Amino acid sequence: MIPLSHFLIISACLFCIGLYAVLTQRNAIQILIGIEFMINAAVLNFVAFGRFDKINGGGQLFGLFAIVLAAAGVAVALAIILNVYKHFKTIDPSKINKLKD
Amino acid sequence: MEGIEISGFISLISLLVILLPLCSFLLILGGKKGRGADLSLLNISLSFILSVYLFYFIWNKQSVHYQLPWFLIGNIEFKAGVLLNNLSVLMITLVSGISVLVHIYSRTYMKNDLNIHRYWAYLGLFCFSMLGLVMSDNLLLIYLFWELVGFSSFLLIGFWYTRQAASQAAKKAFIMNRIGDIGFLIGIMIMFSQFRTLDITALFGETGLMNASIVKDGLWISASRQIPEVWLSIAGISFFMGAMAKSAQFPLHTWLPDAMEGPTSVSSLIHAATMVAAGVFLIARVYPVFDPVVLNIMVCIGAFTAFMAATIALTQNDIKRILAYSTISQLGFMVMALGIGAYSESIFHLVTHAFFKCLLFLAAGSVIHQLHHYRDKIGLDFDYQDIRIMGGLRKGMPITFIGMCLASAALIGLPLSSGYLSKDAILITAFEWAGSRAGVYMLLPYLLVLTSWLTAFYISRLVFKVFFSQPKLMNRQQTEQIQDAPKQMSYVLLILAFFCLFVGFSFNPVSFESSWIWNGFSSNLFQKVQIYHWLVPLILNIGSAGFIFAAYWIYVKNDAVSLPERNIFHRFSKQEWYLNEIYGYLFVVPTEKISSISYWFDRNIIDALVLKSASLVRVLSGITHWFDRILVDGFVNAMGTYAKLIGRFSRNFQTGKLQHYLITMLLVMLSFFILTYFI
Repeated sequence: MIPLSHFLIISACLFCIGLYAVLTQRNAIQILIGIEFMINAAVLNFVAFGRFDKINGGGQLFGLFAIVLAAAGVAVALAIILNVYKHFKTIDPSKINKLKD
Repeated sequence: MEGIEISGFISLISLLVILLPLCSFLLILGGKKGRGADLSLLNISLSFILSVYLFYFIWNKQSVHYQLPWFLIGNIEFKAGVLLNNLSVLMITLVSGISVLVHIYSRTYMKNDLNIHRYWAYLGLFCFSMLGLVMSDNLLLIYLFWELVGFSSFLLIGFWYTRQAASQAAKKAFIMNRIGDIGFLIGIMIMFSQFRTLDITALFGETGLMNASIVKDGLWISASRQIPEVWLSIAGISFFMGAMAKSAQFPLHTWLPDAMEGPTSVSSLIHAATMVAAGVFLIARVYPVFDPVVLNIMVCIGAFTAFMAATIALTQNDIKRILAYSTISQLGFMVMALGIGAYSESIFHLVTHAFFKCLLFLAAGSVIHQLHHYRDKIGLDFDYQDIRIMGGLRKGMPITFIGMCLASAALIGLPLSSGYLSKDAILITAFEWAGSRAGVYMLLPYLLVLTSWLTAFYISRLVFKVFFSQPKLMNRQQTEQIQDAPKQMSYVLLILAFFCLFVGFSFNPVSFESSWIWNGFSSNLFQKVQIYHWLVPLILNIGSAGFIFAAYWIYVKNDAVSLPERNIFHRFSKQEWYLNEIYGYLFVVPTEKISSISYWFDRNIIDALVLKSASLVRVLSGITHWFDRILVDGFVNAMGTYAKLIGRFSRNFQTGKLQHYLITMLLVMLSFFILTYFI
């Protein structure tokens, strides 16, 4: 049986990779991918911790739920990105600094 | 009820008498240049007519006292009003009457003056203030008019202000009068603090506070309070000082001869007939305040002034100056008469003197006027007031000559003249008074007799030199071309000449007791000594005749060529007893010294102090400036700069880039975790 710590390490790695992608990538799509990485790290944690649930299958269920939500979020995010592209003619987040002021 | 209405009516008329001249003053001063002769003559004539009406209404009948509330000090109410009794109606008639004559005379005398409107305006102001002065019922009001009279006299003396001497004389008159005014003011203050009122009737009436107050055990006790007795004397001396300056008594007389720099008509109205009599009038008004000490001082000063002025008049050469000293001398007689208690004699002499002295001045004015014109015509250069160059004017100027002779006769006191009545009245009373005294007072009447003889000499010297003796500058034909002054002026002389005769004052030419003016103020205090009543006039007139003859002999027969000019008495008299020089050394020079010292002090100490403190302040303010600039401003600026820096620094976090925000969030979260779990 694979020990819990492995899951957690993998999950942490996934999270870090996602975080890195979010923070460094110059393309909104890639940032979105990074976010997916981080969500998946969280889902992995849910599933891994699900073994120790008092109620069986709670973790898995929550994982599924999160996946569904992530899919919805991605759909919304893509729509935003599309609109951002329409507006700024780019999806490089370092060039979009309208949040200032 | 009827009485009140009548007194209201009377006071209305008397107000009109005062205000008409004031009205001409205001209108003329505001009007066109060179105008005003008719208006001022009209106003003063109306004023005169009303005065005569008042005179008939009041004289020897009832006195009218009408007053209105003026102002309040604390709970003491001051009232202002008119007081018309024998004295004031006599004075207003005299003042306005002589003013009318002088106005008529001035129309010709001052005709070609460019600033004639000022002349008329000032005359109006003078008449207003003089009439107000004699009618006021309140010491404060009298003081106000007193000052106004002095001021208008100042203006008129300095009428030809472009002449250095005239403006100097005006200043001198003003300053000398201020000295007296201070006395008057002090007197008023003493009266007020003692009696809490300044109303003349309340103070000096028959049943007034002054008579009700008593002197006991060295205290002067009035109804409200008591003060040491000496204050009574001080009050008397103070009032007398005011009179002394205005009536030109020694030692405050030196302004009057210099005041002759004004136009002659002004000299005759103000400095001979009316204003100088104001001092005598004041003494008469406040008479009860004088205690025996002050009365004795008054007698001595009056007699001394009379004598001194007569001796000075002996040697003067300026025709107006002789008359000025004669005025001082006669005022001395009046003051002396008041001092011995001869109240009615003094007022009587005041009235007769007003007429004959006015005539003397106006006659002198015609001589001056004609000589001036003649000088301009023939283009000679001489001083037209100097009697040394005159002579032989009798033929050409008969009216002036007659007027001058009559006035001189009245001045000397020759029989049938008005002066005979009034002056001899004073002398007789003086002898009667001296009979009740001892010591030096016995001598005073004799001094007066001597003064009278001197008067005879100096005035006949003037008449002989001007009208009889050989002309000095011109030959006889030329002299006879100098004619009488124009008609207007000559008629005035004739009118005044009538009043130099006895008939205007008494129907009996030898007895002053039958004169209506004397009877208007009867105050017969002394035992009547019959012998004096014929002896004194006799001696006086014999002596006067002798002196007149002496003058005739010296100045007409010998033509004064042999007269010693260099002896010490002559110089003493010529230099007017050196009084001007003495005053110069005693007062003017020290004053100038003090002022130059103060100037130096001011310049070198006060100014230096001011400058030093100014530079100190500059240094201090420099320091403050530095402190303010560097420290306070520096602090504020530093705060500003730091705030700016911090702001600029924190602005950096606000890049607007999504990822930067995320990094920040991450770092914050991480540090939060690190802080929570590892430290």
